[in-house]
Amino acid sequence: MFFDLIQNTLDGLAMGSSYALLAVGFTLIFGVLRRVNLSYGPAIMFGGYCATWVHLNFQAGLLALAIITIAGAVLAGAYVERLCFAPHRQGSAIAAMVASFALWMQFEEAVTLVMPSHVYDFPAMYDGPPFEFGSLTLRMEALVMLACAVAISYGLHRVLSGSRFGLAVRAVIDSPVAAQLAGIDVPRVLLQVFLLASSIGGLAGYLIVSTHTQITPMLGMWSTLKGLLAMMIGGLGSLPGAVAGGLVLGVLEAHSQWFLGPQSRDLLAFLLLFGLLAVRPYGLWRASSAEAEA
Amino acid sequence: MDFYFGLAQIIGVHTLLGLSAYIVLLTGQVSLAQAGFFAVGAYVAGMLTVLAGWAILPALAVSSLFGGAVACAVGFPALRVKGLMLVIATLAFGEAVRLFFFNFDYQVAKGGVKLGPVGGEGFRQIRYFPEHGWTTMEVMLFIWGFVILAMALLWWFDRSRYGAVLRAVGEDELAAQSVGINLTAVKVSAMTVGGMIAGLGGGIYAHYTTHIEHASFGILLATFALAYPILGGLESVFGTVVAVVFVQGLLVEGLRFLGDWRNLLFGALIVLAMNVRPKGFLDAPALLWIGRIFRGRRGAA
Repeated sequence: MFFDLIQNTLDGLAMGSSYALLAVGFTLIFGVLRRVNLSYGPAIMFGGYCATWVHLNFQAGLLALAIITIAGAVLAGAYVERLCFAPHRQGSAIAAMVASFALWMQFEEAVTLVMPSHVYDFPAMYDGPPFEFGSLTLRMEALVMLACAVAISYGLHRVLSGSRFGLAVRAVIDSPVAAQLAGIDVPRVLLQVFLLASSIGGLAGYLIVSTHTQITPMLGMWSTLKGLLAMMIGGLGSLPGAVAGGLVLGVLEAHSQWFLGPQSRDLLAFLLLFGLLAVRPYGLWRASSAEAEA
Repeated sequence: MDFYFGLAQIIGVHTLLGLSAYIVLLTGQVSLAQAGFFAVGAYVAGMLTVLAGWAILPALAVSSLFGGAVACAVGFPALRVKGLMLVIATLAFGEAVRLFFFNFDYQVAKGGVKLGPVGGEGFRQIRYFPEHGWTTMEVMLFIWGFVILAMALLWWFDRSRYGAVLRAVGEDELAAQSVGINLTAVKVSAMTVGGMIAGLGGGIYAHYTTHIEHASFGILLATFALAYPILGGLESVFGTVVAVVFVQGLLVEGLRFLGDWRNLLFGALIVLAMNVRPKGFLDAPALLWIGRIFRGRRGAA
């Protein structure tokens, strides 16, 4: 029983580290643009399908597949930004969200048109035995993913607080008008942020599909929802919060699956999120509403 | 002809769904929970006519009240959060409702056949209309009776003091609060009315499709509910109808000849519509222009 609890927690952390990576990209977009990008997950799925297509038609190494996934996600991200977010910069946040949803339908349709058989195999990143400590096991991929999540959020933190680009981004977050007056090319900064977030999403997507060793069009919706949930739990706009939120979500899901069965796992996750928002509207780690109000 | 009646049924039900999001949007709240209320209405009405043997009208009345009650109960906690946090809170609620019905089994044997919702398979055989010999046209007229009722109600609502209060909250919460408007009361009542309309729409939907399942009430439907009033514009209830006709009539049915390519163009056209008319088809200048045409005609005659 006790070992089961620990094993479940480990499994949860493994799952949670993929949520954490997704949430880091989501948080970056949300923190800067103050817009929900429903096409975030579908763009990742598009990247994953690009890599799958290459894998099926050519011989490509793992690194090449990872790069293609990221490139596909960045390309899709640029398409989303140009069509949905650039035109609605001053306008309504909902209009941008609805437009990004329309593009979600496009991505799903595009991948099913080119690759109609729904489920495709994806080469595993690592197929050796998992780590073992006594009777506990932890998959290697989970460690890689967790390391990536922590490294990327730390790296982003350094970039945002230390570089000229980061200074520009923070100026835009503070006040787009003042940033423009100070000579910052605001649309360009926003596009760069979007592409950066998409590339993080693409990396997350590659790690996820190569862990699951298969890809379906459902990956799009799954990534958007899990990224969104993890971002909410961590408190909006906080990078360490996003990582922690992803891990918390993963552990919660693993335990509820153990106690209540796989059918109730997602139901419980959504109910918990709803309850959490009602009780602590600005995330677990943030008490004030100062930054969370959009 | 039945094809067009069938299309009119779809448009009618989606108009109800859009109107339920419309009234919530007037207060500046973006809710992705409307599909959840719609699902509650669908399951409640279906169970009442199939399992309890009720007539359609009382069943719809109860499903509407149920939708309103759930919306009211959700409204209090959900409306503590604002803006995009609310979007996500309501999305979580909508998905929770969908997953609840995914796990929901309640079967009763009736005349040797087991009826009722079965988890992932959904709820089959909601055959009130065919059993009572309603034709497609009669069902269509029945649906549109409710649509016109809901639109007339909201139109009158918009013109009354309540409409002004709703829009005041939507424009600027702080200003509304400082002239003595009770924000919570206004938001929760808008949510409740929206939930009632969605519950009614769901109840009708269950009966004209005769088969409902959890997958129909996901984030896709929730976003559609929101997209109609946004595409149509928040100036008038007619915007929502125009948007539903545009999406369901023109895009979904009209582009059917494109086959698999339809969704690609579908997405592109919605994005285009949002970019060309960010405030919706019927924004304030458009309504002014339409009004001028009508006044001009009257002046000439």
